[in-house]
Amino acid sequence: MAADEANTPMKTVVYSCPFVPAEWIAAHGLRPKRIIPAIDPDFSPSGLTQGLCPYADAFTREATADPRNDAILFTTVCDQMRRIPETLPFETKAPLFVLNVPTTWEGASVHKLYRTELVRLGRFLCELGGTSPSREKLSSVVLDHDRRRSDLRSLRGRVSARCFSEAIARFHRGGSAPVDPAVRDGSSRAARTGRQGVSIALAGGPILQHHFDLFDIVEDAGGVVVLDATGSGERTLPPPVDRRLAREDPLAALADAYFGRIPDAFRRPNSGLYLWLKREFADRGVEAILYVRHTWCDTWQAEARRMKEWCGLPLLSIESGGDSRVDGRTLSRIQSFMEVCSER
Amino acid sequence: MSDRPRMITLAEWEIHYRRLAREGLKEPAYGGPLGRHVDDGDLRLRNLLFDNSAAALRLWNFLLTEEQRLAEARTAGKKIIGTMKDLGTVPVMAYSAPELVAFYPDGAWWIPCVMELSAGLLDIADSLGIDESFCPVRAMLGAFVTEAHFPIPDLLICSVGATCDDFSAIAQRLSGLGHPIVWWEAPARRKPDRGEESIRLPGGFRAPVDQVEFVKSELERLRLLLGEEAGRAIDDAALSAGIRAANRVRRILNELRHTVYRADTAPLPALEMLIAEMLAIHFCSDREESAAVLQGLLDEARSRQTEGLGVLRDDAVRLFWVNPVADLRVMNLLEKSGGRVCGSEFLFSHALDEIPEDLPPMEALARTALADPMIGGAEERADRVCDDIELFGAEALLISRIPGASHCATEGEVIGDRVRSRIGIPVQEIEVPPVSDSLLPTLSTRIEALVETVLQRRKR
Repeated sequence: MAADEANTPMKTVVYSCPFVPAEWIAAHGLRPKRIIPAIDPDFSPSGLTQGLCPYADAFTREATADPRNDAILFTTVCDQMRRIPETLPFETKAPLFVLNVPTTWEGASVHKLYRTELVRLGRFLCELGGTSPSREKLSSVVLDHDRRRSDLRSLRGRVSARCFSEAIARFHRGGSAPVDPAVRDGSSRAARTGRQGVSIALAGGPILQHHFDLFDIVEDAGGVVVLDATGSGERTLPPPVDRRLAREDPLAALADAYFGRIPDAFRRPNSGLYLWLKREFADRGVEAILYVRHTWCDTWQAEARRMKEWCGLPLLSIESGGDSRVDGRTLSRIQSFMEVCSER
Repeated sequence: MSDRPRMITLAEWEIHYRRLAREGLKEPAYGGPLGRHVDDGDLRLRNLLFDNSAAALRLWNFLLTEEQRLAEARTAGKKIIGTMKDLGTVPVMAYSAPELVAFYPDGAWWIPCVMELSAGLLDIADSLGIDESFCPVRAMLGAFVTEAHFPIPDLLICSVGATCDDFSAIAQRLSGLGHPIVWWEAPARRKPDRGEESIRLPGGFRAPVDQVEFVKSELERLRLLLGEEAGRAIDDAALSAGIRAANRVRRILNELRHTVYRADTAPLPALEMLIAEMLAIHFCSDREESAAVLQGLLDEARSRQTEGLGVLRDDAVRLFWVNPVADLRVMNLLEKSGGRVCGSEFLFSHALDEIPEDLPPMEALARTALADPMIGGAEERADRVCDDIELFGAEALLISRIPGASHCATEGEVIGDRVRSRIGIPVQEIEVPPVSDSLLPTLSTRIEALVETVLQRRKR
């Protein structure tokens, strides 16, 4: 790594959006850190700006509060995330960058636009102290990440659903997915696999740290999470890259893997999300959906009813409004939902 | 022109109309007494105050008969294009083909207000999972479901990208209900990077050349589709003619805004000015008539100004208004509270700016589309607001939050801070739902506080 070679601390670039290719940052000699934000238990939801999504707020607070973050990336996949940087200049010294991720995807011109945006991001990374990577270097990083993502995917089924999703989060945060020794030796709850119960898909937008508890809540209520289709789970793992393309034109391979392949509700049309869900629901035998959305998140709020109509499965939509834990009312709703699903 | 200018109720308009008719009032085919629209369900008219001029009567009748105009256009064999969200650019392209008529289904956001919730459009939106956490434009979904407020368009075109999430999500829901939509990408306008080639846009913003080129390519795609719908290609000559015709409307409107907003005494009320500005985005489905309607208002305003007449007290506090209100009645409330509107930014200032006529038409349209204040940063928008505040001599800023709108969570603070620091005038935020009757005392208090602040400052 260039930064290591220079014997200087590697600078960290923090973000939360799955459409930011970690490889591109790493290839510049910087450390990509995609976080799942937590809400400070001492923070009162009443302190939220009216109308502001608690996820966007939590990300911003966490990203700006940590002095180890040398730059913060926002993207345009969400209107509020696009706009938040304008409110920040006096709160953080870390440079900010807004990556324009097109909403449409069907034409070649938007793919080109995304790639152009990556190049612009590259200039920002160089200004931050990074080094523009050679084709060989980028290719090597892309293929290495691809291999490690493949290792990550192989965890599915070998560890519990929660453990798998947390491993994905750790991978994004630090580029590797170490599994707790207690999991490996089978002594931890996280190692429990093959549980029986109603097969639940966790779906919706990006989650906050405390939402990992949903896995346990579902299990305790007699279900098992078989698919993490949230904006922080396996849905946002780019599929394996085209290895030939990754050697010949690694930036194109990255753009294809991220912009071309990750399904999401914000995309127009967002038919790709439903194609992905259809395949995964069938593969995993999904019987019901626990749907997570944040207050004021229009994108995922609008999709909840449509998803329910589309799949014909029981769907419980829970709203995250800025609390730091799953509250009692939500817990009770999930338990009731699971009971109903068990009786079907 | 006629009677002494004043604001009158609907009941007063009925009497006034009969007198004008007896005196030989000449009206277009869509003319008539305003009260008939109440019979059609436009109940809010009963609670509004209107300007008493014949020009204002024509404006209101023009606005409230758009549905009939669209139906007539379809009967006449024209294709109806539903353009969504870009607010001002795609209709210029559509009206360049005489076979096409374009309108914004987005305009349905005022139906809950105008019909005082009697149409049930918000209930329908609720039933589709689009609840009150969304902006009132969700009424559009209900309008598509009932098919009672506008003809279902032959082609639906929607800009997405750097648009509010409310609209993008609602449009996707609409698509999921079986209304195919052609999406086009409006990229987030960004400030040019150091050394990057950029272009000055109509209205004064700048954008990188690459972004203009990208938008041009998106609009070219739409040009082809519109041509297919029209049954003939829309060539550059037709587009240039369409741009000139649109500019004629924009020029009249700008003269009207300058005349009214800069006048010492308000020649026209805020409500009529709001409606007049709305005509710019799709000409209320008749480009030539919208120019005539605006010309009538301009003539009236000039005449009143010449005679030193106005509809409000001379000392009314001059306020700049940001964002359209979901409830038209609040424009009346502002004036009752001692204010008047001297400048506005209703989210579509790019539809007021003239489209360059000295450029290839697609280049000119791309620059216009990129000048949309909503696809750039709120700071840029704030700077434009500041420029207009100085131009029109506004003494305070009123930001009207749109309930549930994704952009309203942060933009008010950004705009307010910029205006305070750059111009140093007081700023107030209010939030206005589609029918605000129960909130009128609160809204009134906030507006009056702003007015009183300005009056105190005048005494210094």
